[in-house]
Amino acid sequence: MTLRLRVLLVLVTAVALEGTLLDELRVGGVSVELLLLVAVLTGYHGGPERGAITAFFAGLLHDSIVGAPLGLHALVYPPLVVAVSSLELRMLRSTPVTDGLAVLAAVAAGQGLASAVGMLFGLLGPTPQEFVRQAVLAGILTAVVAAPVNRVVRWAATSGLPGTIEIHRGAG
Amino acid sequence: MAAPRPAERPRPTLLLLAAAALTLLTLHIRGAAPLDAFQQGLRDILEPLRSVTDTATDPIQTAWNGIFGYEDLRAENERLAVELARLRGRSVTDAADRELLERLLGEVGIDYTQTDTVVVRILGTPPGNFGTHRIEVDAGTDDGLSEGLAVVTGAGLVGRLEQVDRSRSTVILATHPKFLVGVRLVDSQDEGLARGTGRGTLKIEAGIRLDADIGWNEAVVTSGGRSLLPPDIPVGHVIDTDEHAEYERSVVIDLNADLESLSFLNVVLAHPEGDPLDVESGPTEGPRP
Repeated sequence: MTLRLRVLLVLVTAVALEGTLLDELRVGGVSVELLLLVAVLTGYHGGPERGAITAFFAGLLHDSIVGAPLGLHALVYPPLVVAVSSLELRMLRSTPVTDGLAVLAAVAAGQGLASAVGMLFGLLGPTPQEFVRQAVLAGILTAVVAAPVNRVVRWAATSGLPGTIEIHRGAG
Repeated sequence: MAAPRPAERPRPTLLLLAAAALTLLTLHIRGAAPLDAFQQGLRDILEPLRSVTDTATDPIQTAWNGIFGYEDLRAENERLAVELARLRGRSVTDAADRELLERLLGEVGIDYTQTDTVVVRILGTPPGNFGTHRIEVDAGTDDGLSEGLAVVTGAGLVGRLEQVDRSRSTVILATHPKFLVGVRLVDSQDEGLARGTGRGTLKIEAGIRLDADIGWNEAVVTSGGRSLLPPDIPVGHVIDTDEHAEYERSVVIDLNADLESLSFLNVVLAHPEGDPLDVESGPTEGPRP
């Protein structure tokens, strides 16, 4: 299966899950931002360019199911994914905790940017208190489901790329 | 760490994607119908899946709500107990209030109860975490609904249909700060433009005379005319007359309908006569008021 088909399959599955099952399972009225997670992880595993393109289509799908104007999340997600991917390249070491915190921060930033752009276009965002609560909760919920999604996205996004080469400096 | 990547050029790609997104966004906000159709088509494709998931996850959702919604449920229970006690105390005055309201509405020839409506069930909030003051209901174009129709309960105005798919619709609540409605004060007969405040009330921002004699608790109904919503739907009652205003009066209205505990709603099928491009399609509105 080609890389594009894999990514397409992951995006279609994600949109179906986000619009159905995950929408039913809300905590405090907030649901998992699965499409944003897929976009961020694609950037993480597949590089900024691949991530940006995936993020654009993830944004378009997200706009369609949440009823936002088409292009709003597609405008916000790609720069966010490129930023996460670039930061990841500069990280010397990553642990599950830092990865989880990165996902949390990325989701919260994604929500904030979407609200800000929405307000520029005359759409209502939540109040500041509500926004903080919603962004943090969405970040936590999304970070919780990140591990299994990460495996799937890695499978989809790293096709055709050379394997990881670990370089260790010898002690002494 | 991620796998090493081939040489990439994220900046030109990013610029290209941003330009594409901005173009789509601009076209959508300017009302490009194919984009609406694309979004609606996608939601319609998902609809059968959503219905199946709704049914299949009912037991899980019940358990889920039991775990994560217990405190909310208890708070709601306490709130309802207080409300019940308050209503019992007011049972005597309610009859008089109702008679007064009917008399006031009768004086201006209101036949609010005679309108054709479709009963819809509330499904919850729309998918995702984007947007507030919106709810989703279980009827759509297949049931004869269309965008802009008024949504009411027996108590009065709740909102209007904002997005209508084949078998689901999104209602924008009257408390949404982008919700605008032409209203009339029943006693003083002044008309104005009311806007949601985001806090359970509406504020009449324009149209009220400085010297208008407005009574506290005065009934407020939709004005109709060039308005998108039909006339004479009860909206609420005045809780702040702003009588000391020096430049422009901002009369605050408390909604009749309780938006906190809704299960079923009525969609008023009749579109008003006249130009739908009215005061409710304010200049800063989104794709559809």
